Amino acid sequence: MRTFAAAFQWQSRAVLARHVRVHLRNWHTVTLPPVCEPLIMLLTFGLGLGSQIGSLRWQDRDLDYMHYLAPGILAYTAFMSSFFQSLFAAFIRMHFQKSWEGQLTTQVRLEHVVWGEAFWAATLATAYAAVVCVVLGAFGLMGQLSLRWEWLPATIPLLFLTSLAFASLGLFFTAILPSIDHMSLPFFLVIMPIGFASSTYFPLPDVAGLREAALFNPLHHLAEGLRFLLLEGRPTLHLAISAGLCLVLLMVLVPVDMRLLRKRVFGDG
Amino acid sequence: MHSAASIPHSTPAGTLLEAVGLEKSLGGKPVVQGIDLAVSAGEVLGLLGPNGAGKTTTLRMCYGYLRADKGTIRIAGHDLTREPDAARRLLGVCTQDDTFDADFTVRGNLLQTGRYFRPRQPDLAERIEAVLDRFGLREFKDQKPDTLSGGYKRRLMIARSVIHRPRVLFLDEPTTGLDPHARVAVWELINGLRAEGLAIVLTTHYMDEAAKLSDRVHVIQGGRVRASGTPAAVLDDVVGEHIVLLSDTSAGTRSVLDWFRARGVRPALVLADWHIPLDAAGLAAFVAAFPGVAYEVRPPTLDDLFLALAAEGKGGDTNGVTKP
Repeated sequence: MRTFAAAFQWQSRAVLARHVRVHLRNWHTVTLPPVCEPLIMLLTFGLGLGSQIGSLRWQDRDLDYMHYLAPGILAYTAFMSSFFQSLFAAFIRMHFQKSWEGQLTTQVRLEHVVWGEAFWAATLATAYAAVVCVVLGAFGLMGQLSLRWEWLPATIPLLFLTSLAFASLGLFFTAILPSIDHMSLPFFLVIMPIGFASSTYFPLPDVAGLREAALFNPLHHLAEGLRFLLLEGRPTLHLAISAGLCLVLLMVLVPVDMRLLRKRVFGDG
Repeated sequence: MHSAASIPHSTPAGTLLEAVGLEKSLGGKPVVQGIDLAVSAGEVLGLLGPNGAGKTTTLRMCYGYLRADKGTIRIAGHDLTREPDAARRLLGVCTQDDTFDADFTVRGNLLQTGRYFRPRQPDLAERIEAVLDRFGLREFKDQKPDTLSGGYKRRLMIARSVIHRPRVLFLDEPTTGLDPHARVAVWELINGLRAEGLAIVLTTHYMDEAAKLSDRVHVIQGGRVRASGTPAAVLDDVVGEHIVLLSDTSAGTRSVLDWFRARGVRPALVLADWHIPLDAAGLAAFVAAFPGVAYEVRPPTLDDLFLALAAEGKGGDTNGVTKP
């Protein structure tokens, strides 16, 4: 219980506030990637590749690729940004900058540092996803995209929860990776499979076992749930399943993260 | 939670740090095996010992970085385990490595550290200005810590550790790697903090530093306090009253060494000289037994303490070598 209670204590907010403060100081440079990435993706994949593909079958109806892609990019941004921040940036702060050690000599304890990192990764990823919403809106204004825009704000809490869950996965690898040289391993072994078996960029292929496996992938449910929501204005069970799987991930991974990071940071089993 | 200024009634008068029966194993290996510490306001306790003796682990338990397997730690009467927020509010830490926040300036580091403490200091902004002046950091206040020299980085580390007005200060090898001038400057700061009434625990490898700054020292070896007291008393206890220096190349040295070893004395070779710790009676016996041997006698220093510990064969690395 102490592990989860720490999420609501002032020290976790103080760590989160530190990250926000640093980020806001560099807002003019750090805002470029989240704006550019979805823009490039929508241009190259949505318009470029989409013009080659034409339409594809989704839920027994034809759907042009741009419309298939838009909700997927939203889900993928939350997932990827959160994981990257909680793995790479947190590892740098823990291992090289030693800012964790500095924080741990104050009233801040490890559980606060970990929650602060997780909340920050989720906050940043959600903010990036919000930027994607703006980019999607711009495509809508240009007549390239027609979504049920009124549902867009409702996606934010779900994107935050998904980001928080994948932040806990990122922190798991932060705890176990022996060095920064091994940083690409979780991307190839975990992130790419999760990302590709998720209906974000393309429908799941008919491969034995893949559809069954995707049932346990919160990203798959989020992408499909957002698609129903933003294309048809229909909240479906996918969103509830995604939220449930994310909660399970958090309940399981956060205590494991704490235990592993305690060993990593303090050398203490 | 108690306010920073309140002290529970159970606290012995003047004692700000009280650690009893500390034990800690890391990776299954016992590192600290029953250490007691007590430090009063305005007192500096030096922790001495070879690498791996358990000094830093002891310190880390005392400031709550590591959990003690056994034992209790009280900071101004607050139990560190049961009242972590109250206890940690009253302690400041300067770690061995520079652990400032590289994303902030010097001033930003002080401000950010102040934000990691509750109750908040209503006068934090004024406190930062005062600390910048006190530690000679004003001209660097808008610079990133990485751009500072080693001496000023240490100043920032210590400044950061006292920004919230702690009552107990832990300094883990605060002058390691500094040039003599910078070391003296840090010593002056530490002396000033002692004069303000902080209870200070200091680990160091520099014997002159321990002797100059510490009111008492604990010599730690193998996770236990091997000797304790004023630096002079500890030397007397562990090393002896005199150090006899004998050239390794002198004629007759071999037989002198054999004579000492037969009496349980363990000489240590430092470069080309044998260092032999003796009490007054031992010195008299040596002089009587070897009237023709050339030797020097000097009072022991804390460096000899490390050599003596190494010669006991229990410590970690040492500058001295004990020949078979």
